[in-house]
Amino acid sequence: MTEQLSRRRFIKGGLAGTVAVSVLKDKETQAAHDFEGYPDAMGVVVDLTRCVGCRSCEAACNKEQGLPEPAEPFDDFSVFDYMFHGQKRRTDEAHYTVVNRYEVPQLDHPLFRKMQCNHCNEPACLTSCFVNAYTKTPQGAVIYNSKVCVGCRTCMIACPFYVPTFKYSSAFSPRIMKCIFCYDTRLKDGKPPACVEACPQEALTFGKRIDMLEVAHQRIRMEPGKYIDHVYGEHEAGGTSWMYISPVPFDEVGLDTSVTREPILNYVKGFLAIVPMVLTIWPALFAGFHLLATRKDRIKESQTDENQEG
Amino acid sequence: MQPGKKMKQAAWALGLGLALLAPATGQAMSAEDAPESVEIDTLAELYGPVSFDHAMHTDVAQCSDCHHHTTGTDPTDPPCVKCHYGREEGETVSCTDCHAAEPFIQENLKKLENPEIFHIDKPGLKGAYHINCLGCHQEVGGPTGCQDCHQMTEAGEKRFDTGKFAPAGYRPGAEQHEPEKKHE
Amino acid sequence: MKKFSANNPAIPIADHVKHDGSKWTIKEKLWLGLTPQEYKKQFFRNWVNWLMLCIFAVGIPIILQRYLFGLGAVTHASNDYPWGLFLGFGLFAMVPLSASGFLLGTTVEVFGRKDFIPIERLALLNGLLGYFFAVLYLEVDLGMPWRLPYPMFVSLGPAAVLFLVAWHVATYLSVQIAELVPAFGEWSGWLKGKRWIKSITLGLTIAGIILSTLHQGALGALFTYAPGKVHPLWFSAEFQWIHFFCSSIFAGLSMVIVSSALCKWTMKWRADDRFLGSVDNLTIGLGKGCSYAMITYLVIKIVAIAHDQEWAYLLTGWGQYYLLELGIGVVLPMFMFAVAVKNRWAGMVRLAALISVLGIIWNRLNTSMISFNWNLYPEIPHWKEVWITITIYALYFLTYRFILYRLPILYEWKGEK
Repeated sequence: MTEQLSRRRFIKGGLAGTVAVSVLKDKETQAAHDFEGYPDAMGVVVDLTRCVGCRSCEAACNKEQGLPEPAEPFDDFSVFDYMFHGQKRRTDEAHYTVVNRYEVPQLDHPLFRKMQCNHCNEPACLTSCFVNAYTKTPQGAVIYNSKVCVGCRTCMIACPFYVPTFKYSSAFSPRIMKCIFCYDTRLKDGKPPACVEACPQEALTFGKRIDMLEVAHQRIRMEPGKYIDHVYGEHEAGGTSWMYISPVPFDEVGLDTSVTREPILNYVKGFLAIVPMVLTIWPALFAGFHLLATRKDRIKESQTDENQEG
Repeated sequence: MQPGKKMKQAAWALGLGLALLAPATGQAMSAEDAPESVEIDTLAELYGPVSFDHAMHTDVAQCSDCHHHTTGTDPTDPPCVKCHYGREEGETVSCTDCHAAEPFIQENLKKLENPEIFHIDKPGLKGAYHINCLGCHQEVGGPTGCQDCHQMTEAGEKRFDTGKFAPAGYRPGAEQHEPEKKHE
Repeated sequence: MKKFSANNPAIPIADHVKHDGSKWTIKEKLWLGLTPQEYKKQFFRNWVNWLMLCIFAVGIPIILQRYLFGLGAVTHASNDYPWGLFLGFGLFAMVPLSASGFLLGTTVEVFGRKDFIPIERLALLNGLLGYFFAVLYLEVDLGMPWRLPYPMFVSLGPAAVLFLVAWHVATYLSVQIAELVPAFGEWSGWLKGKRWIKSITLGLTIAGIILSTLHQGALGALFTYAPGKVHPLWFSAEFQWIHFFCSSIFAGLSMVIVSSALCKWTMKWRADDRFLGSVDNLTIGLGKGCSYAMITYLVIKIVAIAHDQEWAYLLTGWGQYYLLELGIGVVLPMFMFAVAVKNRWAGMVRLAALISVLGIIWNRLNTSMISFNWNLYPEIPHWKEVWITITIYALYFLTYRFILYRLPILYEWKGEK
């Protein structure tokens, strides 16, 4: 009987704790304000109607960031046919940015899309990092400190855009490899990143993020029918510094349209909120269980003591 | 960009501007007033200069296709009409006078903060050239390959890891295309 | 071993003094009271050891390769699947299977169920080793394993879920070591440590509950960072941590059932009558706990589907796979536990426990690898990655057995304690 009782109590207690916790949790989540990004953060609009797939941005990035020599020249366009597990090219330890080609049925020509770190306002990589290796700078860049990174790769799990990559080839100095908006060499001095400067078509337009949003919306407004009426990155993953405008639905150019509207962190806040609850409620709860469960023993003990005294 | 280069650019812009300004007297410029050819080399670095056959292009395009409202033709786009209708030709018609060679330097970005400004989205010089030239070439079937207009320089080959800087052991694939021809 | 103990009544060692009154030295205790020749003989007589040697023969060179040439040399170096078997199995499955320590600790110390004492130490050991080897798996997987203490002391990111995991696993590991100090103290004769630990047992146990709740939950919450990547059926922003925590209860209990069964069958010489006489009853008791935990888990799983309106997914291929996992991994053993407990069939409880252990491994692999990137391509681990995973597990098995052979886990120390 005691066995059943204690078990039932255990479960009940657990449920009661959970209910209490979830009630309190909602309050906390509501109270937490969403971060809308630094006011002076810089941004880039990528206009897919302009990109011609010349790979100048890739070449510029490679030199600016001192990345390894590529397997093929940057004016070799056969890379657009490259497929891996049915996927087009993606960023890796030798490429902070890649351009891919997309055949779209609506147009008589293909579209090209550059991918790189989108530099989220509230980056998932940053919030998931347990050694604070990431920083969102006031200029908008999401930068990374390889000196403290332990190589757990949670940032790669968390990034909704599949951007951070790991230098798997290195045994002694592996690190995360990802676009840093040319922060060290350019952005912090107010200069545009190398890829933007290299783009002949000005498919990449650089400026303050708020201004770039306006530019993007103006382009959509000024030429009705030319663009899909949506700026990808305005709200995706809580808003990103790099944004896209496209003549065709975004999923046709390989952008994930199911990406959450909120920052990834909002999905984790629920759990983070229960942590202090468990830390404070559990000790009292289980000490209480202990006293209840061992009450009979203690009564017996004191009775035997009394008997001995008497 | 180095200061020397900037100086050179400025001198060029001025020169080109003056050259084009000199004969401007009438209501609208005529094609005959324009130079036969223009050597576009202000931005030449990774690619060499473009020898632009201006005379040939005046046969196949309107002045306003490239010079917008500055050559005295009235615009037809509704947003442009508001300000530029009925104006005389501009003091200068050179691309470099309106389109900044370095559109994204702080000084130029600052200008966007002016709430009065309408042209918040004016392309830089390089963008203006390519969007206009390449855009039209794609439409009318002109050449669209990078090296159809300008030869890659040694600096360019280095940047693109190509030519004599091609990766060791690289064997070009059977098909190698210029980007725009790829889909044709 | 049976043969040796038949020849020498002092073996297995369970006392500080030999029959002739002299003391066992630590060295002799380590050799189990055998001569090195005898030890070697019994070692090579066992086919399991041969299997282990085969695993190590291939596994150790591959592990060296991993440390000399990087993770890319032994895995597919995938940027789409940053976590493979080392974490998918080594961390996400090993940790719930090692929840046994805090569960039995709670049962005995907090709820005062003294009848579970014969199996308590086995559960504690199972917990300690599981965690220790989860950390070892982590050390294989981390890009910079030498920086393991960074999240604690060098650069702190306290708002991250993994920070919680790191701190809680580290502190809980210490708690579990402390909880096993008595066993070590008795065996080695270091009684001061034992007495001190005894005085703080309740505190340690409650600390264990808190830490376990949080880090078992946190392992689940790690996946809430990937809402678009983990298949909606395996993902739940609100309930992920409860799913992981709740399933760790039956996972940990099932693991002790399996482990105690193996001890009963293969290590009779080392166990005493107290253990052998009660293990069937305790197995049934634990089985009862499992079935309760499983029904709770099942309900929360269904609540999560209802909460996120995911019923339609159940009709897809992924949905059928999900139902298969729940059916075989949870519902089947749950009924087996219930039936077996009712009829007091210890054997069936053990079979159900084995199924539920495999079920929990399956669930963790499904969450971390199989349903992860469900919109992309499936990733099949490199054979070297598989082999390293097996090698570390073999090491875990050997360490587990090494300690069981010696410390008073399955038997009561007869000497001074």
